[in-house]
Amino acid sequence: MNSDTTQLALLDRIDALQTQVAYLVERQRKQEELLAEMTPILREALGVATVRLDALEKQGWFAFGRELGEIAHKVVAHYSPDDVRQLGDATIAILDTVRALTQPAVLHIAAQAGGVLQKADSVEPVGMFGLMRASGDHDVQKGMAVMLELLRHVGRGAQALAQSQDPAALRKARLAAALGPKRRPLVAAPSAPKVQPAGCATGPSAPAPAAMVVNGVAFAADGHLADPTVWTRELAEKLAVSLGLQLDDVRWQLVDAARADWGQTGQSPNIRRLTQVTGVATKDIYALFPKAPGRTICKVAGIPKPAGCL
Amino acid sequence: MNDTSNARRKVAIICSHGGLDEAYPALILANAARQSDIDAFVFFTFWGLDVITEGKVDHLHVNLAGNPTSPMPTIVAGLPGMESLAASMMKKQMEDLELPSAREMLQIIDEAGAELYACELAMKMFKRTKAELLPQVKDVITAGDFYDLADGAQIIFT
Repeated sequence: MNSDTTQLALLDRIDALQTQVAYLVERQRKQEELLAEMTPILREALGVATVRLDALEKQGWFAFGRELGEIAHKVVAHYSPDDVRQLGDATIAILDTVRALTQPAVLHIAAQAGGVLQKADSVEPVGMFGLMRASGDHDVQKGMAVMLELLRHVGRGAQALAQSQDPAALRKARLAAALGPKRRPLVAAPSAPKVQPAGCATGPSAPAPAAMVVNGVAFAADGHLADPTVWTRELAEKLAVSLGLQLDDVRWQLVDAARADWGQTGQSPNIRRLTQVTGVATKDIYALFPKAPGRTICKVAGIPKPAGCL
Repeated sequence: MNDTSNARRKVAIICSHGGLDEAYPALILANAARQSDIDAFVFFTFWGLDVITEGKVDHLHVNLAGNPTSPMPTIVAGLPGMESLAASMMKKQMEDLELPSAREMLQIIDEAGAELYACELAMKMFKRTKAELLPQVKDVITAGDFYDLADGAQIIFT
């Protein structure tokens, strides 16, 4: 009983399958007919397409496309989105430049210059004197004026560019704006102390910082009197003795001259200046103050050490 | 100032170029050494001989061609007259700064106690006699003699 029903169900399914197979066979046959009809047409079309594509290839379109792709790849790799944004900002300026450069007058000049360049082979070589002679030519002079004006503008532009922020700083600023105010450093950076340039003698009103005090008199680190105003003639005698010298008339003349010159100019005189103001010869100054006379005289005179190389 | 006589500082300066700009460093260094109580010996050799030659010392030149720090491009600096123009301009600037002339500098450093020597070999090469040199030149010596004189000195080559 049970097997009967199974057989019946099987027969049913075989029936259904038969119909499906018949349908498929029919479709297959129609497709074959279609193919048989289409083949010549397709063959024709393919032939034409091949010829066309071949022509395009020969004209270099595909190579061009490939290269274009390469360029696009390079551009993408080279420029950051920021740069592209800036390019967008600059579009108007670029268009303005292009318009200015393509004015008929400008193009005319460019075409003429191009013509000259094409005939570059036939131009005679010019030396230094040729250049000088050519500078007398009115046209050359005008051209030079134009070039100079151009250079001037380029220079101005370069300066302005240098003064404006560089792209990196601009990016940073944008980032900072996006991230909000920067946290303040915990310790304020110490500002650099103001240093007076070395070698420049300061005026009488600027005593050097005292490095040592001997018998109540303050001296700077270089052995000169810290405060020139405390100087007395008695102190000068003592200073001279401490340096192994006795002050005679000529030595006093030099010390007095040094002090007077310092009072007038605000600068300690060097040996050359002393020879000029006193008339004492260099040789004699070295004989009177054998060890570093310029400095010794200034030490005894209670003024800072002389500045300069002479 | 606590130096003793056996520990004196010495400098030996070798001046081997005769340009105005090349002579001054040697002369100024020698003068500064004496001003600082340092013994100074200056040895003039090769073109440096011009600096101590009577007929040349007042006509030292400034070489601009091939000098990368000169303000003038080499092609211009090589033109006739440019070099003497530059020398006279530099002399003018030195006058404005009250810098002594080379001749005066030599007198000053001689009086200050620096010793000036001429190179014997260079003298032969340039066929120069001692009579042609400035009176401040102490002697004509060999390089070996100079080393003996400058024993223990710091050597500066200009």
